[in-house]
Amino acid sequence: MAEPIIAPIDDFFQPQGVAIIGASAKMGSPNNQIVQFAKQMSLTGKIFPINPKADEIAGLKCYPDLMSVPAVIDLIVIAVGPQNSLAAAQQIKQRRETKGDAGAVAVVTAGFKEMGTAEGEKLQEDLIFTIKSCGARIIGPNCQGVADTYNGINTSFSVPPNTTKGGVTILSQSGAFATSFLRWARDQKLVGINKFVSLGNMADLDFRELLPYMAEDEKTKVIAMYMEGIADARGLFDVAAEVTQKKPIVAIKAGKTALGTNVAQSHTASIAGNNDIYDGAFRQAGIIRAQNVAEFYHTSRVFDKMPLPKGNRICILTVVGGPSTICVDELVGSGEVTLAHLSDDLKENVAKHLASSANIGHPDGYIDMTASVTPQIHTDVLSLLMADDEIDGIIFMTSPPGFLKDEELAAALIEGYQSVPVEKRKPLLSVLMAGNAVSKCRTLMEEAGLPTFEYPDDAARVMVNMVRYAAYRQRNK
Amino acid sequence: MDCQSLVQKCAAEGYSVVPELEAQEVCQSYGITCPPAALTADKEECLRAAKTMGFPVVIKIFSKQIIHKSDVGGVVTGIKDSDELVKAYDQLMNTVKNKCSQAVIEGVLVQKQMPKGIEVVIGGLQNEQFGPVVMFGMGGIYVEVFKDVSFRLAPLDKEEALRQIKETKVYKLLQGVRGEQSCDIDALCEVIVNTGRLVAALPDIKELDFNPIFCYPDGCCVVDARLVVK
Repeated sequence: MAEPIIAPIDDFFQPQGVAIIGASAKMGSPNNQIVQFAKQMSLTGKIFPINPKADEIAGLKCYPDLMSVPAVIDLIVIAVGPQNSLAAAQQIKQRRETKGDAGAVAVVTAGFKEMGTAEGEKLQEDLIFTIKSCGARIIGPNCQGVADTYNGINTSFSVPPNTTKGGVTILSQSGAFATSFLRWARDQKLVGINKFVSLGNMADLDFRELLPYMAEDEKTKVIAMYMEGIADARGLFDVAAEVTQKKPIVAIKAGKTALGTNVAQSHTASIAGNNDIYDGAFRQAGIIRAQNVAEFYHTSRVFDKMPLPKGNRICILTVVGGPSTICVDELVGSGEVTLAHLSDDLKENVAKHLASSANIGHPDGYIDMTASVTPQIHTDVLSLLMADDEIDGIIFMTSPPGFLKDEELAAALIEGYQSVPVEKRKPLLSVLMAGNAVSKCRTLMEEAGLPTFEYPDDAARVMVNMVRYAAYRQRNK
Repeated sequence: MDCQSLVQKCAAEGYSVVPELEAQEVCQSYGITCPPAALTADKEECLRAAKTMGFPVVIKIFSKQIIHKSDVGGVVTGIKDSDELVKAYDQLMNTVKNKCSQAVIEGVLVQKQMPKGIEVVIGGLQNEQFGPVVMFGMGGIYVEVFKDVSFRLAPLDKEEALRQIKETKVYKLLQGVRGEQSCDIDALCEVIVNTGRLVAALPDIKELDFNPIFCYPDGCCVVDARLVVK
């Protein structure tokens, strides 16, 4: 028999048609939701529910099996129960061997190796063996599959179909963790997504293949990676170190506390918890490791929206004293960021726009405009900072005074930011500490590509991460 | 004998930790400096060796059966001259013979006692998920208490080693505090790089500790090299 043709990973993200084995007509069930979302996202409408007991699901014609679908179907979703998954795999094999499509398989079904039972493991092995024997590739099992906002693909039951498009690609060992990110971000358009991959048990495709794929993917600007356990961590880091030469990877790793269980005969082995080795390996490979969930979310989205800083000299522009001190603490405490030096020229020019009570340069790099501000003052001062080559990044902080309208403040900041040409732009992180009271302002800014924050320390940590990654790229030039 | 064979031979002979002289030999061939040392068969030979390397010296009992030498009085440090060495030698032999009458004593190891420096540790291990790994940090007997360490996957280059060092607090000590001279950090980076080469090339070494390493303004020295083979 001829060697099977190995399907390209593109089949997951640019399929001509999508078939869903196990599609359900029952509203409110996950397998119905998958069909609904797939249909709502689809640009072509080529979604084919497979279910021998239904004629129509979500307004789409239903087919009894894969062989009877009359169009090209590159991506197959297996959503049947685990006991029926092998039969589904056989259908895929038959389809691929006779028609040559069906190259990408997302196994949403759970109940395999993750159960920790011998039966679960055996079932997974048999499933993967059958699918791979015809050259098809698998994501999962026990996952939510893939989504692609530009190509209109969605095999999940929880990636919102109206997810904002952008440059963040998510690779996640937890489907729920990743989709909650998208839902959190949706209303204020905090994040724009390109691709989403829920990896599940990683029985076939894993980080080692998907990272380089995303490095080559034109629309991916940053890769956000949620990790749990990895058997071949070395393999992952070897690949990642290449990818980070091109694009930032932001990672969050669950399971910090487990220590090596071997009986150590040396100081080194007794102290070497895997988490500490992960820490070192992340840094070595140029991966930004987020220490908490908020930092992970914010860092990923800011890498997408903002250019990298050229250096580590950051200016704080504020109308609120206390929170700014917290921000400075976080920045300087990192040991990797300094406050920018404000030249006499710059200080003089800034002073022309501000009240005499304003604090310009105490400490150096810090400007407190006080609350006597107008939208125009925001624009003018921000423009000066944007044009100054001795400043590599800006954190703007305010608790917007009630007399400033959301629309006016947003417009003023956007104008100030855009006062210099694109190639001269630097990261600007804006902290608007008034929660939902300024949600309109935040949304307007986010839509214009300016990231906003609720808390000053979150913004500071993101800035440190940007500086760190920029330094990594500099030294690997 | 190449290092690989040497390490395998030690394992085959039933050692779980490579004996000191062989460990030193492995280190030397990876460019890692240890203090001068010699295995001596009797008191006269010991004396000659000590004079050649120069006082002060340390003497240690050398026996396959004795793993924790200092627990049985098998180590005497700070020997300043020939007279002290003669006394220390006799005392060492008596104590060990009393405490471990079954042990076959193969000789006495004499080693130059290095002046104190800033103490650091460099470690290495084979990790199931990561492969060869190197550790750097504050050395001494309280390594596990302070945990002032950072890790890298091996092998690595000197620039990466420097970044690894900078992640620890002991880096400040190495730079010199309270008017002290700064240590030779470049030399230390070289030891990290060489340790990385060593663990990557010799997978039979499961764990290793260079602890302490004394750091000086001009170089550094691995005072104790512990290579664990199983």
